[in-house]
Amino acid sequence: MKVVTRKKVIIISTLLTILLILVILFSITLGSVKVKTLRSITILLQSILGLKEAGTETERTIILSLRFPRTLLAGLVGAGLSVSGAIFQALLRNPLADPYILGVSSGAAVGAIIAIFIGLGTLSFGLPLASFLGALLAIAVVFYFGRQDGKIHPNTLLLAGVIIGSFLSAIIMFFISISQREELHTIIFWLMGDFSFSNYQAIRIIFPYILLGFLLLYLRARHLNLILSGEESALQMGVDVERLKLISYLSASLITAASVSVCGLIGFVGLIVPHSVRLVFGPDHRLLIPSVALIGAAFLIASDTLARTLLAPTELPVGVITAAFGGPFFIYLLRTRKGVKTL
Amino acid sequence: MPRKTKRIVRMVLRGVPNEVRELLRLARLRDGTHLGMQARAMPSQRLRGVASLSLAMIIFSISILIWTSISYPANLKAIDEVGREVSFPFPPKRIVSLAPNITEILFGLGLDQEIVGVSIHCNFPEKAKRKVQVGSYINLDFERIVSLKPALILATGAGNTREMVERLEKLGFPGYVIFPRNFNDVLQSIHHLGQVVGREKEAIGIIRGMEKRREKVVELTRDLPRPKIFLQIGENPIVTVGKGSFADDLIRLAGGENIAGNEKEMYPRLGREEILKRSPEIILISSMNPKGDYQRVLQEWSRWKMIPAVKNGRVHLIDSDLIDRPSPRIINGLEEIARILHPSRLNRQ
Amino acid sequence: MIDVRSISFRYHKSWVLQNVSFQVGKGEFIGVIGPNGSGKTTLLKILYRLLAPQQGEILFELLPLKKMSRIDIAKRIAVVAQETYLLFPFRVMEIVLMGRSPYLGHLMFERERDLEIAKKAMEWTEILNLSDRPIDELSGGERKRAFIARALVQESEVILLDEPTANLDIHHQIEFLNLILSLNRERGLTIVMATHDMNIASEFCDRLILLREGRIYRTGPPEEVITQETIETVYGCEVWVDQHPVSRMPRISILRKGGHEREALGRD
Repeated sequence: MKVVTRKKVIIISTLLTILLILVILFSITLGSVKVKTLRSITILLQSILGLKEAGTETERTIILSLRFPRTLLAGLVGAGLSVSGAIFQALLRNPLADPYILGVSSGAAVGAIIAIFIGLGTLSFGLPLASFLGALLAIAVVFYFGRQDGKIHPNTLLLAGVIIGSFLSAIIMFFISISQREELHTIIFWLMGDFSFSNYQAIRIIFPYILLGFLLLYLRARHLNLILSGEESALQMGVDVERLKLISYLSASLITAASVSVCGLIGFVGLIVPHSVRLVFGPDHRLLIPSVALIGAAFLIASDTLARTLLAPTELPVGVITAAFGGPFFIYLLRTRKGVKTL
Repeated sequence: MPRKTKRIVRMVLRGVPNEVRELLRLARLRDGTHLGMQARAMPSQRLRGVASLSLAMIIFSISILIWTSISYPANLKAIDEVGREVSFPFPPKRIVSLAPNITEILFGLGLDQEIVGVSIHCNFPEKAKRKVQVGSYINLDFERIVSLKPALILATGAGNTREMVERLEKLGFPGYVIFPRNFNDVLQSIHHLGQVVGREKEAIGIIRGMEKRREKVVELTRDLPRPKIFLQIGENPIVTVGKGSFADDLIRLAGGENIAGNEKEMYPRLGREEILKRSPEIILISSMNPKGDYQRVLQEWSRWKMIPAVKNGRVHLIDSDLIDRPSPRIINGLEEIARILHPSRLNRQ
Repeated sequence: MIDVRSISFRYHKSWVLQNVSFQVGKGEFIGVIGPNGSGKTTLLKILYRLLAPQQGEILFELLPLKKMSRIDIAKRIAVVAQETYLLFPFRVMEIVLMGRSPYLGHLMFERERDLEIAKKAMEWTEILNLSDRPIDELSGGERKRAFIARALVQESEVILLDEPTANLDIHHQIEFLNLILSLNRERGLTIVMATHDMNIASEFCDRLILLREGRIYRTGPPEEVITQETIETVYGCEVWVDQHPVSRMPRISILRKGGHEREALGRD
């Protein structure tokens, strides 16, 4: 019987976690400066276990202060964007939905750009804070329009998201057109998604939000399955649909806002990963949510590693790599229509 | 902080409370309410004695502090041009430059071996191209910088970002930032950098040379009328230089009038109509954009014969490295502009 | 069992249902018929409280429906509605198991017992062999049976059906309706079915409720409700109502407009 059981979830999650760990270890051995593979891994393990540290100070700095936090952050953001993408696809019952579909990305971008403009961007927490607030504001406005008489209408929400998103994009373009060279560079790089300033502080800041969102969503995974066959259908089976929608939308938006605030807009992750994982593991959220998180983390770590090593010392924006995967993936989706009915 | 200094500081700090207690005790004695203490000696005299002792101790401690911090592993504390406090070993034996103008200045000061890393834009002198590259204005290869183990990072406020300097500080590499905005600032920056790397004498030499040449240009063009100039540094869209930019300063010094000189932005974008309206007598095209084609831009302008500069064939190309890079060669840029503006006067020299 | 008292409902300005009252006894097979827009589907939605009437109330075994929790209602009333979204196709077993949701509460995974109940329901609806197949690979008739199985595992006393035979060919229609009938006769489930097909309603239902513009026009056994006069009044068209030769239930037949001159002219 091919039903998702607790055992199945635990086994698959464990296997994927092992895969993720391998990807992390692999990623910290690569970089523009050559550090011997075994050395990198031992430095990392000894640091985690609190043992006496190996390697030269240079190697330790490279591994522990540059590569490892970057890998962790990429993993965290990859997991966050993938989960929220999967949830939006379920809530909006739309295979083209991604984490940014409700204007979150545009709100975050406007917040970030304004921060860069008024000079807040130079504070270590100024930029992420401003973009987080911008994202939340955009979500609030979209919800204000999408929620009527206490009910969330997915189509209205979608429409509001697209409209608000376009409006905010216009604001972004305005700022770009009046900005000077230095600001322009910073803005463009933020918009393309950038992990080069990853540090442990950023991880500490966003981790609680992503964890909170993840828990709120996973506890309702079974109900999210029900909502996939229609809201009325779920309602007659006893689900408090409005409450489920509200909490799920807000959790997914929170995760997205937190992810975007520290590294800019990284596209395609929240779109490709959920679809790919569903093709293999099925749409049951009890298995989908953890799988998507683990695979999304591995995917973004791998993409970021490629981005920073392909053309060293120049760094490609990680969004370029994810888009390079995303384009062909979309074509594949359209041609085979596997597992997606309404495309 | 070196250990010796720490010990001295601790001594001073421990001494202070005792002095304070003594002073308080004396104060109470003067009130006459305290019993059982020797109140015989004149309180004010005793007070003066203690005060001068404390003062002596403090002065002594401070001098020790200064002495240890200068002569111990020779760390120099300085304040850079954007107001940051920087502390680094002096003289710095391994330097990374994050901007081409800084690289030029360093080579100009006579450094070579000390320069261990440069940005990808650093193209002068020839030797600079052979140095290890650590990234561009906005994108640094932190791993490479870490592996170079620099003692000091040099950055410019006009180009590098605060985040990258702070990031490098967090990784343990102090950064000194310069921020020259006009010709005089460039002289200052050369001086500061000279002090920072221990080549102050050479710096002063360069500065004097540049000043002399500048004076010459200013003198020669003093009484001449100021032709209207348009300097183009961007092809699509058309970008020029406004108030506060180097090139604008150079144009002024060379005896010209920048038609965009009153624009508030440093690099304003003017439409062709606007340029037409301001009818410049000379058009300078900077070779800034490597992809840009001088011939093509020239051709584009040649269609606008109503502009005096085009009509009189006074459209010139100028090396952008000379006019937009705050380095010692900026004096070459000044002289070049002056030659173009006032050919008769300057070509005689 | 279900006592509907003077309910009125409107979406926006105009009333969709007005002053509707009726009762459904335990074990009855009720058919709700009427023209499009007469309020059939709305009535059903009100019965499981998807919509709340602006006036009147509904009692379920003497308990007011609006005071019951969602889960209580789910344990008592199951719905097989129009075909719903199949964006990401689940397997048949997974879909049937979803019907156990009201009994799982905060539990994340189904228990052995739930699997047993699901298997039995699928046996009953004869789709056990399809349990691992994705739902979108099933035929229309098989899909309908899967949703019935899902309703069955809800272990409710009442099943509401909204136009269940729409889009089914005649073979599957008959199969389906016989299944429902046996649920009613053999397992004592109370059925309320909204349909536009009056012959089906006549053949299978114990009692009919005929709606006209949001009000009850007539209720009673089929022979009282489906008559030449009521149908022509409510539907506003000419039909032929007679008695089915085998079942003796009222039967509606359609006639071409303008009579049958063809026979008169001798063509066959």
